[in-house]
Amino acid sequence: MIELKGIEKTYLRGSEEVHALKGIDMKISKGEFISIVGPSGSGKTSLLHVLGCLDRPSKGSLLIDGVAVEKMREDELVRIRRKKIGFVFQQFYLMPGLTVFDNIALPLVFSRTAIDKEKIIGAIELLGLKGRIEHYPKQLSGGEMQRVAIARALVNGPEIILADEPTGNLDSENSENIFELLKSLHKNSLTVIMVTHNNDLAARADRTLLLKDGRFPG
Amino acid sequence: MVFLKLAITNLRRHGTRSLLTALGIATSVAVLFSILSFNKGFSKGLARELQRTGIHFMVVPSGCPHEVASLVLHGSVIPKFLNTSVMEKIVSMKDVDFATPILVTQLPNAEKARVDLVYGMEMSRLSAVKPYWEVDGKIPSAVNELMAGSEIASHNNIRKGDLLTYSGVSFKVSGILKKTGSQDDAFIYMPVEALQAILKKPSGATAIGVKVKTPETLAKTTDELAEIVPGIQVVTMNQVMSSISNLAASGKVLSLSIAIITILVSAVGVMNSMLMAVFERTQEIGMMRAIGASRADIFRIILKEAAILTLFGGLSGIAFAVAGSDIIEKFVRKAMPYIPSGSMVDFDPVLAAASLVFVSAVGIISGLYPSWKAAKISPIEAIKG
Repeated sequence: MIELKGIEKTYLRGSEEVHALKGIDMKISKGEFISIVGPSGSGKTSLLHVLGCLDRPSKGSLLIDGVAVEKMREDELVRIRRKKIGFVFQQFYLMPGLTVFDNIALPLVFSRTAIDKEKIIGAIELLGLKGRIEHYPKQLSGGEMQRVAIARALVNGPEIILADEPTGNLDSENSENIFELLKSLHKNSLTVIMVTHNNDLAARADRTLLLKDGRFPG
Repeated sequence: MVFLKLAITNLRRHGTRSLLTALGIATSVAVLFSILSFNKGFSKGLARELQRTGIHFMVVPSGCPHEVASLVLHGSVIPKFLNTSVMEKIVSMKDVDFATPILVTQLPNAEKARVDLVYGMEMSRLSAVKPYWEVDGKIPSAVNELMAGSEIASHNNIRKGDLLTYSGVSFKVSGILKKTGSQDDAFIYMPVEALQAILKKPSGATAIGVKVKTPETLAKTTDELAEIVPGIQVVTMNQVMSSISNLAASGKVLSLSIAIITILVSAVGVMNSMLMAVFERTQEIGMMRAIGASRADIFRIILKEAAILTLFGGLSGIAFAVAGSDIIEKFVRKAMPYIPSGSMVDFDPVLAAASLVFVSAVGIISGLYPSWKAAKISPIEAIKG
């Protein structure tokens, strides 16, 4: 379902050219749970950005459901992000001025989809956030904020969840809960790609890929 | 709706900054709205005053028409006199209804150690020349009676029944002119013959006010008059009013320019405030792009914030201007040489709407650049922090 062929990513840091990805070839099947590990600066986040259509590769081809996306126009990439991909970030990135409900509904607003109130409330309750619907992010714990962020990633019904260090800002108990949540999504046939520093959690994915210096060694 | 909520909550997150920016806009809108209202009130007041006046034209010694305008409405003292024998010629014209002499001068008031502006007129013609005047007491009916304008009366504690002495002649205050809101409030009014006697110019007049029987004959009458009597100048009330309008026009242009500059300065404030907000929210904007916001969505959110900020500022500005209209009016009355009677700064919804539309347009234009900047933010750069 996702295929990367010779993906390279080069960018400039001042006048210095940085080769973040140096030829990535991989295939990810529908419904797979993949974890990507590697030291800092190995290109994990760059890879996730390319996978999430937030960034275009400098070279190579990215196929999602057989369609090459690397040369798509900006508005086409926006449509793919809206329809197929849900993002979860380490820093949660919730909008401080919006309630839990509005934060979760935000992607629907961007994709001009009618807001199904019952469905969102159902999802909120399922994620153990009952009673938090009208709360603001600052009133939530880290674990709760990440659950809200996951609910937001799911609201458009994506096929792929891209999680960038989703447990990086959480204690071990909350990390475990979030990981279990991602696992349960995967059981519901979502493709989950998680970048992490936590080797224990990474090892529990279907497949763990080690990224080093912008490539998968071996 | 969520976009709107987002815009409002974003503005509230930086409450002080938003408030200060809005205050800048409010001040400039208040200035603009007040100036527009005043200009409109001024023109309306002039027209009203013109309609009210019972005379159609003034006959004055040849000179500057602005001087005449100033005489009629401001009461300046022109050191030239007409001889009232001119009046006989005027009255003999068939289309003339009546002619009445007006004598304006400054007289020292020895007891109070001040100089008063004194207006001599035929008291019997008062209702024709100043039909809108209301008097507390009675209009002077004898040569030793006079009447005081409300302002001069209240400043100098002049009451009905008091005695005032000018050049050794005592006058009884028969009445006080009720507040007109114009310069009329600052004068002492006495029978013209009494003033002529004091000035030792038994047939002198600063001007002669003339009313024609039908306004249609006005042009013909003034043309004829200029031929019959040499050395005079005929100034119609319309000319007087247009002289005043011309005098006021440059002031209007200047004041409007100041208002517009104030608005432009506050627009720069909006731009600065929005740019800071965009800069501070780079990561948030990146996140929104990641979860499906297009560049246009981001553009709209930021532009909405700028629009709300200016609209809020604009509405507050109108409210300030309305609330402070009395103070503004008082200030302008002091500063301007001539202001027609009546309220100058009335609330006009059309002007309020025009001011709001103008400031909103300026606000939105100043929000364009920050919105464009925000829309250009790359989601990756933003999320990387």
